Parts: sequence; C-alpha cells; structure tokens
Amino acid sequence: MSSAVRAGAAATPVKPGRARLRIPTRTPHQAAAEAGSGRLGGRLAGVPWALPAVLFVGVLLVYPFFRSVYGSFFDDNGFTSHYVGLDNYTRLIDDPIFGRSLLNTVLWVAGTLLLPVLVGLAIAVATHRMRRGRIAQLVVVLPYAISGAATAVLWKFILTSDGTLNQVLRAVGLDSLARPWLLEWPASTISMIVASTWQATGLNVVLFAIGLRAIPRDTVEAAELDGATGWRMFRHITLPQLRSMSVVVVGMAVVNSLKAFDMVWILTQGGPARSSETLALTMYREAFLLFHVGYGSAIALVLSVIVVACSWLYLRRQMPGTSPR
Amino acid sequence: MGRTFRNLFVAGTVVLWLVPVYLLVVNALTPVASYTGNASWTSHGFALWDNLSTAWTKAGIGHSFLQSLMYAVVCGGAAVLIAAMAAFAVVVLPLPKPAFWFWLIYSGTLFPLQMFLAPLFGMYADGNLYDTRLGLMLVYVAYAVPFAFFLVRNQMTTMPPEVTEAAMLDGASFWRIFWRIHIPLMASSLGAAFIFQFTAVWNDLLFGITLSRSPDVQPVMATLSNLNNAYASSGPPVILAGALIVSVPTLVVFLTFRGLFLRGVAATAR
Repeated sequence: MSSAVRAGAAATPVKPGRARLRIPTRTPHQAAAEAGSGRLGGRLAGVPWALPAVLFVGVLLVYPFFRSVYGSFFDDNGFTSHYVGLDNYTRLIDDPIFGRSLLNTVLWVAGTLLLPVLVGLAIAVATHRMRRGRIAQLVVVLPYAISGAATAVLWKFILTSDGTLNQVLRAVGLDSLARPWLLEWPASTISMIVASTWQATGLNVVLFAIGLRAIPRDTVEAAELDGATGWRMFRHITLPQLRSMSVVVVGMAVVNSLKAFDMVWILTQGGPARSSETLALTMYREAFLLFHVGYGSAIALVLSVIVVACSWLYLRRQMPGTSPR
Repeated sequence: MGRTFRNLFVAGTVVLWLVPVYLLVVNALTPVASYTGNASWTSHGFALWDNLSTAWTKAGIGHSFLQSLMYAVVCGGAAVLIAAMAAFAVVVLPLPKPAFWFWLIYSGTLFPLQMFLAPLFGMYADGNLYDTRLGLMLVYVAYAVPFAFFLVRNQMTTMPPEVTEAAMLDGASFWRIFWRIHIPLMASSLGAAFIFQFTAVWNDLLFGITLSRSPDVQPVMATLSNLNNAYASSGPPVILAGALIVSVPTLVVFLTFRGLFLRGVAATAR
C-alpha cells in the first residue's frame, strides 16, 4: 500500500492546455501514456496497484495450478513420489469409476446449464408485468440465499428412501414411481441436479427480470403494432434483447456447475459404490482419502481442461476487448 | 387462454418452490424426542428454540458460525478492495499489456478448485499454515479476488475517461483519484462484488474440509457437513435447525442489499 501512495505522490500534475484540445475518444490508458509518461509515474504506474491481486492469485491459485500439472506425472502417495510419466493418464482410460465420474460431470454441466437457465427464463417471462409477480419471484429467489450445504441437508430429507418425496408418491397412489432416489444411479444424479435447480434458479429469475425491465417499451409496442404476439414476440423481440443478460447468466451457470461438490458430498458422498461421483468428488477422494495424490491431480487436470476450454470458447466470443490478441 | 396458463404455471412454481422451505421449517420445529424417524408434514410440538440452541452450542454450529462470519466479512472486504485496485490499474492507469494482466488475474476463476487443493495442502503443511485461520483467510481472499475483479472491471470500463483526466488536470494523485472518484462511483458494483464474495466464502465447504481439521478453525459449512454425517446421534430436527442457522447471514445480506446487488449486476451486464 505504501508503495502505491508513493507512486501516486510522485505523479506531478499535468499541465492544463494539452488535454483540453483533444476530442475525448480515447481510453484513460492512452490519455495517460500520451500526456508524458514521466509526469504520470511512467508506463508502469499501474503495476503497484495490480500487484496485491497478482500476488494472491499467482501464489495461491496459479502456482498451485502448475504444481498440480507437474504433480500429475508422479506416483505420489503423500509420503514418497516417483516419476511415472503419463501412467496416471493411461490409468484414467481403464478406470471404470473415472468413466462414470466423467459421465456424471457432463450430466451436471448439461443439467445445471439447461434447467436453471430455461426454468429461470420461463419464470421471469411469466411473472413480468404480472400482478404480484414480484412476490412469486421473491419466493423462487429465497433458496438462492440458502447455502449449498444447507440445501443438501434439506434435500437429503426429501430424497431418502422414507423421505417426503416417496411419502407423497405413495399418498397419491404412484407407488410404482417411489424409489430409493439416492441409492440408484442415474436417479441419484438426476435428483441431485433437480435439487440444485431448486436452489440456483432464483438468481437467474432476478437477472432475467432486470433484463426484461430494460427492454425499451417502444420496441415492444412497435412489435405489437406489427402484429407480433406470444411466441413470435418472445422469439424475435424478447430473446434478442435479453442477450447481454444471458451472457452473465450462462457464465454464472458454468461456475455453478462446478459447485456440484457440496451437494454430492453431503447427499450421497458419491455413493453407492462411487456411482454418483463427479470429477470434483473423484479427485477429492483419490487425493485426500485414498492418498493417490498424483492420480488425483491428473483427474483435476482433465476437469480443468474441460472447464477452461468451455469458458475460453464462451468468453472469447462474449467479451470483446479482453482478447489477448 | 394464455393468461390462465401463465397464472397456473406461476402458481405451480411457487408451490413447488415453497414445499422444501415448508418442510425445512416444520421439521426444524419438531422436538427431537417426538421425532418419528420419518419426515413429517405437521409439527409435533414446538421446540424450535431448543433445536436451535442444541445446534448452536452442543453441535458447535455457533462457534464456527462466528468464525465464518469473520472469514466472510474480512476476506470479502479485502478481496473487493484488492480487486478494485487491480481493476483501477488495468482500466485507468498506464500499464503495459492490460489484457495480459486481465487474464492473469481472471484465470483464478477459470480453474476448478480441485486443481489447487493438493499443492495448497502441501504448501500449507510446509508453511505451518495448515489448520490455521490465517491460512484459510489467505486462500479465501485469493479465491474471491478474480470474480470481484471481473465485476468491478466491467463497470469501470463504462466510466468516461474524461472524469479521470479532469481530476488529473486538477493535480489529484492516483491515490486520491482512486478513493475520491472511482470508489464512490463504483459503489454499486463494489457492493455487488462484496455480496457475491461474502456468499462465496460463507458457503465454502471444500477448502474448509481440506485445509483445516480442528473445530477452532473450521468454517461453518464444514461443521454442518460433519453434523450431517453424524445424522443418527443428533437427530434430523437439530440438523435442519443448523441448516436454518447457517442460512440466516446470506438471507439477511441478500434481502437487505437486494437493490444494491441488482444495480451492481445490472451495471455489469451492460
């Protein structure tokens, strides 16, 4: 912090006159650079300001990331380690648990991308300009404030074999549908995705509602004059106008689908027989419970590659101005 | 026709969303002694305060609750300040290759947490940070910075550069420009970032169970998870009461700062 103060104090005031003549169409970056770098603390003036963030992220996130990549080439049981090359990765291919775990992760990502986003959009559109629609929105948002662990504890209650869901199914005569939800795959994974939809949808409703309110009335009225109603209105007016908000919603859904850990850890601990594990959980079990640290790192790297590839493809298209090129 | 369908859809959704909340409350009310072993739809008596106090004191939720509150406030606040400084550097100040710095800091959100855990565990064991409050707080700050940075940076780019230029012409230092101009003007996104990061730290389970072990250090979600594993001994009403307790801070923060949160997110999405 003190270095930041010094950098600020060292900047001598810019002489008025030069900047006044310019048409203000540049970023402060360019302005500062042009105004004479010496007087503004040089072209590196930003470095001390960015340094704390870079240190935290660099030391505690980026360095461990690369350390993890390196560690995935070793057979490490927490006490001894020796180089095994790509063995950890070839082991993944034959490991049936890894295959199931990968499948579960894909289900989670697809499920948490599709369900909360589509349901959220439907609720936001339905409650938009509806009497008491705000109250309905608030009810759906409520679970967002409940933490993942608390949500999982609550849903365990609903989904266990003698839980409330099965009680309801038996009460209405649908005994055949009652099942031990958490003890059979794929019912376990699907019901956990539903539980997480219950929690995650609210935020999307709020975000889409903001987006809907921002649509200019004129646009809607013009479309109405042209005879657009219902689905056509939604498809050609509402949806395109919600684009910038959808970017945020989908971006957050990607982050949320990684949170799959809490829910799975508390509801099934990945069981029975590791059938409902996601990659996040398989990695945790291998590295911290079975002490296969190198193997765990390899799993984490596979997960990272999937996530980074998705985020990269997505962000590169959606965030102009930050592309490294 | 469309209107009826819409009303039915909304009513159905509201009911579906309320049922789990109702179950949570009703079963947290039931006295442990009269709990039948099955989830019930009506409360058998009123023992909410007993269950809450059992969860708070005997199950240790209270102690880790206060710890987590400290983690969430301190780390959330520190992360937002650090992120705002970094955003200021990347957007406003002269800095070579701002896009590189952006990606370096933002990369923290791209990787799944699992990728950091094993090396962090090793580093913490070597550096005597394992199972310490300081250790957890450091990693929470690091974990919270990238997304806060993303939010603040997005709003900062929408600010007209003339504002900064005018201040520079008046001879203000960077320090002054940051505190007197950017911090006040960024209030909504800073607030939204704080709420996001407060919630993220509060809700953390994974770092809590891997980097700490003792009750004096563990965050509240780890305690709740342990309580849940000991299901039979403490009884579901107590666990649900615990779930109620841990939901209070995020609920309060969210309901209190809803306007700020929404404005911040809206400003970011533009």
